[in-house]
Amino acid sequence: MNEQEKQEYLEQYAEEKKKGVDFFPDIIFKDTLVMVIIFLILFGLSAFEGAGLEEIADPSDTSYTPKPEWYFLFLFQLLKFFPGAIEVIGVIVLPVLAIGFLAALPWTDRSTRRHWSARPVVTGVTAALFAGGVFLTAQALLEAPAPGGDVLTAQGDPVAELYSANCAGCHGTTVAAGPGTDFFRVISGGTHEGMPAFASDLTVEEIDTLVGFILVPRGNDLFAATCGDCHTVESLVEQDPADLSDALALGTQFPAHAGANVPDWTTVLSDDEQDELLNFLSAPDGQRLWSQECASCHGSSVAFEGGEDELRKVIIEGGSHLEMPAFREELTDDEIAVLAGFVTGGDTGPDAAALWTTSCFGCHGGRVPTAASHDDAVSIITTGGAHETMPVWGDVLTDEQLDALVEYVVGVASGTGPSGGEDLFAQNCASCHGDLGEGGPNPTRAGDIIAPISTAEYLKTRDDRTLQAIIAQGQPNFGMSPFGSAFGGPLDDAQVAAIVAFMRAWEADPPVDLPPEVPDVPAAGASGAEIFSLLCTQCHGEEGEGGIGPNLKDEEWQDSRTDEEIFDAINVGHVGTSMVAWGEVLSTAQIEELVTAIRELANPPLPPEGIPTFEANVLPIFEQSCTVCHGTSGGWDGTTYSNALLTGDPSPAIIPGDPLNSRLLQSLIGTHPDGVVMPPGGGLSEAEIQIITAWILGGTPQN
Amino acid sequence: MATRKETRAAEVGDWVDERSGWRLAWTTVFIRKIPKVNWLYTLGSATLFVLIIQVVTGVLLMFYYVPEPAQAHASVQYITHDLSFGWLIRGLHHFGASAMVILTIAHMLRVVLYGAYKYPRELTWLTGVVLMLLVFSFGFTGYLLPWDQRAYWATVVGTQIAEVTPFIGGWLKTVMLGGEEISALTLPRFFGAHVWALPAILLSLVGIHLYLVVRNGITSIPKRDD
Repeated sequence: MNEQEKQEYLEQYAEEKKKGVDFFPDIIFKDTLVMVIIFLILFGLSAFEGAGLEEIADPSDTSYTPKPEWYFLFLFQLLKFFPGAIEVIGVIVLPVLAIGFLAALPWTDRSTRRHWSARPVVTGVTAALFAGGVFLTAQALLEAPAPGGDVLTAQGDPVAELYSANCAGCHGTTVAAGPGTDFFRVISGGTHEGMPAFASDLTVEEIDTLVGFILVPRGNDLFAATCGDCHTVESLVEQDPADLSDALALGTQFPAHAGANVPDWTTVLSDDEQDELLNFLSAPDGQRLWSQECASCHGSSVAFEGGEDELRKVIIEGGSHLEMPAFREELTDDEIAVLAGFVTGGDTGPDAAALWTTSCFGCHGGRVPTAASHDDAVSIITTGGAHETMPVWGDVLTDEQLDALVEYVVGVASGTGPSGGEDLFAQNCASCHGDLGEGGPNPTRAGDIIAPISTAEYLKTRDDRTLQAIIAQGQPNFGMSPFGSAFGGPLDDAQVAAIVAFMRAWEADPPVDLPPEVPDVPAAGASGAEIFSLLCTQCHGEEGEGGIGPNLKDEEWQDSRTDEEIFDAINVGHVGTSMVAWGEVLSTAQIEELVTAIRELANPPLPPEGIPTFEANVLPIFEQSCTVCHGTSGGWDGTTYSNALLTGDPSPAIIPGDPLNSRLLQSLIGTHPDGVVMPPGGGLSEAEIQIITAWILGGTPQN
Repeated sequence: MATRKETRAAEVGDWVDERSGWRLAWTTVFIRKIPKVNWLYTLGSATLFVLIIQVVTGVLLMFYYVPEPAQAHASVQYITHDLSFGWLIRGLHHFGASAMVILTIAHMLRVVLYGAYKYPRELTWLTGVVLMLLVFSFGFTGYLLPWDQRAYWATVVGTQIAEVTPFIGGWLKTVMLGGEEISALTLPRFFGAHVWALPAILLSLVGIHLYLVVRNGITSIPKRDD
């Protein structure tokens, strides 16, 4: 606008004013009238509707469906169109653009024209913004389930009901997500966008069902029409996809359907429908397919350096690329015959199972291959070579499932797979937090106890971002160094996220319960040792060797505390840990007894006089700690005196008089080159190892 | 002829006017002519009226509300169910918030429709856009205060959405929550923003907005050829 135009406008405006009305009282009267109407509306709403108040905030209730005030619904709804990495568009870019458009209006629209029809761009964009806001708000209102009830259309359809009860509140009728999303993990672990972790509220089968429903909604209709009469979704979702594929492909020949008057699915359903049904029952979710189909043989990840196409070919064609050794030289003819019987289903005796475990389990895992006949099996085992060790997945999986699997495996193989979280936790965290996050004594600060990080409370009240931040930045005040590479630690963001994902998996079934169960109050006359075994062993171990709580036999622990300090710790406990204040349960005299008993732990009574014997001293240890696995799965066997001395791989495991070179003792104290400490759940106590050492040193007497 | 009482009133008016100049202010604001306008032009003063309701009921709510997680919910419950006319105070404040949003947006639509953001009212419009953002901020901060389930979880989602902001997202969330998670620190912070920081900014801007409206006058309804 130039000066002349401004002048013209002001003159014209002055004209209008002259012809106009008095502000007071004319306009004021109109304003007041509107105000009265507004006040009456607000008054009526307050009186008849009232401002609601729900239950008090409960941070641990993940089943609550967050619902913003209605005037934020449009933003909430907008986010659904921009999932994952592009959510920044919905959160920041579009709102900033809209506000920027409004704020800049006087400077972008510089014409002198004022009538709306003379400014089509401005009126058009504004109308679009307004209509967009109204549309999004309306959409959010319509999609949200009515309070306390499900979406009307979901009635009678259990899968849709499951979806509307858990997902529809935020996601509406569909879930938008980028390709390659690991749905199972997202649902069970939640996301930082405010989605809670559902692992504690839903079963694995329910989550699988939801993933299938989200990815292949039409499959649900097909399921209801074809399978729903006889099967529940959950019961089929947990089946092996190979069986599901067979059930459709074999038609009436499928053994479980034989004689059940089931239609021939190969003719009733088109190929596309069969695919959709299979995709619904085992959703094309790469991470999930991997854990169901591949992990049993391949473990948590597979080293693969080729490209996507190559991998796809390997998966489709199955195992002709794998070489099996010729067992002709390693097994006797009899053994081969037994094995052949085992894989063809003829002989399932204990010998066969044991032979399978020792010879085949290492590669085949729990998946027993089948051979057409006994002779075929014998020839395959004898000659080895390439044969079908890996199923021909091309016959089993649908194209969508293969795509998802290939994408996942390439992703995992090219970087640190998210499934590496367990290993990363074991390497980086378990030394202080324990294998199961149960905590224990803080190695960096004497006398400090690290509280469990795997309780339901801990995991529910911290979102993924918080956990990632703690791992990445450390907690210097508590002696935890930073682990994130940005803070000088060894782990990159993906690895930190993998650890968090691993920890999140605890939430469904927390390994540590807080507070511990308090058993019966000890009787008045109980000795210190009795009180200890009643109350303390659940955290500190049977002999005080440590567990959730610190190792009480540790010399440093014992030396750095006075009796009074131990007394106080028992009496008042450690706040925030599972060490509760036992003063509420025990009398002063009992706590004093307990302190004495704890002091005695460090100086245990000497092993039995003389040389221990197998029957009296050693066998009970074997029976308690070794036989549960070694009694059935082959290898070394400690159930009888002669077996204990003669079996083992390499045999013998025990060299009388030479404990340090005996494989048995090496495995017990962890000096064997393969690094395994037996028993795997936690080593034997020092007293037990001393007994076995003395027994071997003394020439392994039987009686 | 003026009665004695009227004369006395005029005397008091004169006395005050001599020391404050209120007559000039009164005539400037009220005794003026404005172009012929329609009912849509009441939206601005309606918004101002609801703002006054919000201020009055907000102050009354503050008498009883305790901004502390352990007691916030109970105090809101007390206001709603036990306090005399508490239902009215809280109801007006609650529904007034929605009315603010609706009226603000309607008012802005009217301004766009009649091209009222143009010379010489550019600054009026700019303060108006900021005022709209403030109204939404009031809604966001006030929503947490009852400390019930919907308050808590909406704030969880809201702050997590804010975290997506590039570069400063993490910092923003920490500042909003007073830590990594909603805690005892979060509620007093939202309360402080809602009853002190935001009102101070909003009322100052409303003052400027009104000054500009009175100074430049209200737009006339544009004709087709304007």
